[in-house]
Amino acid sequence: MKITGLLLVIAGGLIPVLGLNFTSSNTARLILSLIGIAVSVVGILGVLNKAFLQHALWKH
Amino acid sequence: MRLRKSLTRCLPAAFVLLVLCGIPAWSQSPTPPAATTQAAPAPAAAGAPSLTAPLAVKDATPPSADDLAKGDPGGVLTGTVNDVAVSDSKKGLTLGDAVNQIGQNKVAINFVWTLIAGFLVMFMQAGFATVETGLCRAKNANHTMMMNFMVYGFGLFAYWVCGFAFQMGGAGALANLGGTAPLTAEYTVNLFGKPFGLFGTHGFFLSQGGTYDVAIMVLFLFQMVFMDTATTIVTGAAAERWKFAAFAISTFFLGAITYPFFANWAWGGGWLSQLGANYGLGHGYCDFAGSGVVHAVGGLTALAVSMIIGPRLGKYNRDGSANAIPGHDMVMVLLGCFILAFGWFGFNPGSTLGASGNGALRIGSIATNTMLAGCTGSFGAILYMWIRYGKPDASMSGNGLLAGLVAITAPSGFVNTMGAVIIGLVAGVLVCLSVEYMDRVAHVDDPVGAISVHGANGLWGVISVGLFADGKSNYGGSWNGVNGPVTGLFYGDPGGQLIAQLVGVATLLGFVFAASFVFNWIVDVIVGQRVSPESELQGLDIPEMGAVGYPEFVLKAYRDQAPMGGIGEAVGAAT
Repeated sequence: MKITGLLLVIAGGLIPVLGLNFTSSNTARLILSLIGIAVSVVGILGVLNKAFLQHALWKH
Repeated sequence: MRLRKSLTRCLPAAFVLLVLCGIPAWSQSPTPPAATTQAAPAPAAAGAPSLTAPLAVKDATPPSADDLAKGDPGGVLTGTVNDVAVSDSKKGLTLGDAVNQIGQNKVAINFVWTLIAGFLVMFMQAGFATVETGLCRAKNANHTMMMNFMVYGFGLFAYWVCGFAFQMGGAGALANLGGTAPLTAEYTVNLFGKPFGLFGTHGFFLSQGGTYDVAIMVLFLFQMVFMDTATTIVTGAAAERWKFAAFAISTFFLGAITYPFFANWAWGGGWLSQLGANYGLGHGYCDFAGSGVVHAVGGLTALAVSMIIGPRLGKYNRDGSANAIPGHDMVMVLLGCFILAFGWFGFNPGSTLGASGNGALRIGSIATNTMLAGCTGSFGAILYMWIRYGKPDASMSGNGLLAGLVAITAPSGFVNTMGAVIIGLVAGVLVCLSVEYMDRVAHVDDPVGAISVHGANGLWGVISVGLFADGKSNYGGSWNGVNGPVTGLFYGDPGGQLIAQLVGVATLLGFVFAASFVFNWIVDVIVGQRVSPESELQGLDIPEMGAVGYPEFVLKAYRDQAPMGGIGEAVGAAT
């Protein structure tokens, strides 16, 4: 779960950078940047954080 | 008639001066300050005096020795032609001497400006220390203060060893500081047919690669205190449960690797700064004073560490509801906010690296933008809290002020006052929303709100450049090697600048967060990031530091609970 989250975070960072080389359209680049940011945020707060919260002290 | 005659006589000399002063003024930051002073003797100005010929300085009427001996209470006799350094005392003052003095005066002004701005930023450490300690409980005061105190030393040492070299080793010559010519070594890889600058390779130990240089020393000092600001953000979010040894290792890594790499990409000539030149995205990633480089880096690292070490004991109930854990000294918190706001006048206006030349006079606009955004940031937070909870919360007002300042840091050099007001206001509301989200939804415990103040608003500041840059500032002609002023979406840019900023945000999340997370996870496995539950309940002052922050309040209670160590043991025995 933690590894998956970490991979999502890194993938989110790579999407906009790779996108710069695959298209010269500003609209496409804008969309890819937003997608990349969303993927990273989901990776951090949606997956990684949830993985840590599963074993949180206050739950036990 | 007489006037015309003297004008005719002065014109050639004036032309020569203009040509000579103009060359360095045109040379922009990424290019070396080639051909600065006496390079071109201006052949067009026939009949102009030679640079090496003695000047007739009788019209300057320097004060006599007798006049000077009487003192100068009016300040009109001090600083005359007598104070211009001459290269050959036998020959006396030449035009070359005068022109060199002009160049040195410009660089001297910029050195002094940058150093004083750096000193102001250094003083922000005191602000961070008081804000964070005030927002923690008294039983952790010594530990929190010590983290803020030692972050300065750990970070500085790491930055001197290798951080500065990685960040600025390939930054190129900075015209405002008169050169920094040795900073020319950037490690670059070619990807997709484009050069991607990754890190610098000159400046290790501030001596390798010819970096024992006065201008580089000024640059180092200024950049070092910025890096230290990033590292001190983390101590707030992880306060009251962070093991001191783990903090030391984590800080060293942030100062040596994570911060310098991203700072290189943004400020050191790395690939993010070249998105404009390489991909036509405006001026590339623009971050004037570091909303992203400093604050988002610190805030995202704080998020990574906070997630790994988990919330403080007692912060959450079993059903997931949050308990408020108030700080012990609100006076200290608000005093710290004022200190930080004061220091921010070094942070943002100082980032011109000068007060003279290349559009550096925009320091007036930058300082005013900084002031306004801080003001509207606190307005936004006060209004939000007042409307939502019925009271103008003091700690959130302070956080609103800081959020506004964080958000305006990146755009401060590119926006007008209206933009600054809006950016600050949004930041003030955003920090409240983010604190609520982190606290209640994400269950990430952040005692001081550092993740929201610096992380969320750092990212907002980066994005706001792509929206609000008004196209009026170009700092001498080109920023990041692209001609023309930086312009955002609301001022006519087709969107390239905004995309460059978003790529920067994605990189902050994808690289900075990921690197910080992986490293701190490894530290957690090897050293352990979190103190024991017993230490946490007792307060970290004695278990971690060996002495309490406020002995008069709590010494006896502590002495009954657990034996002290170090100096605390001696003090305890004496009382």
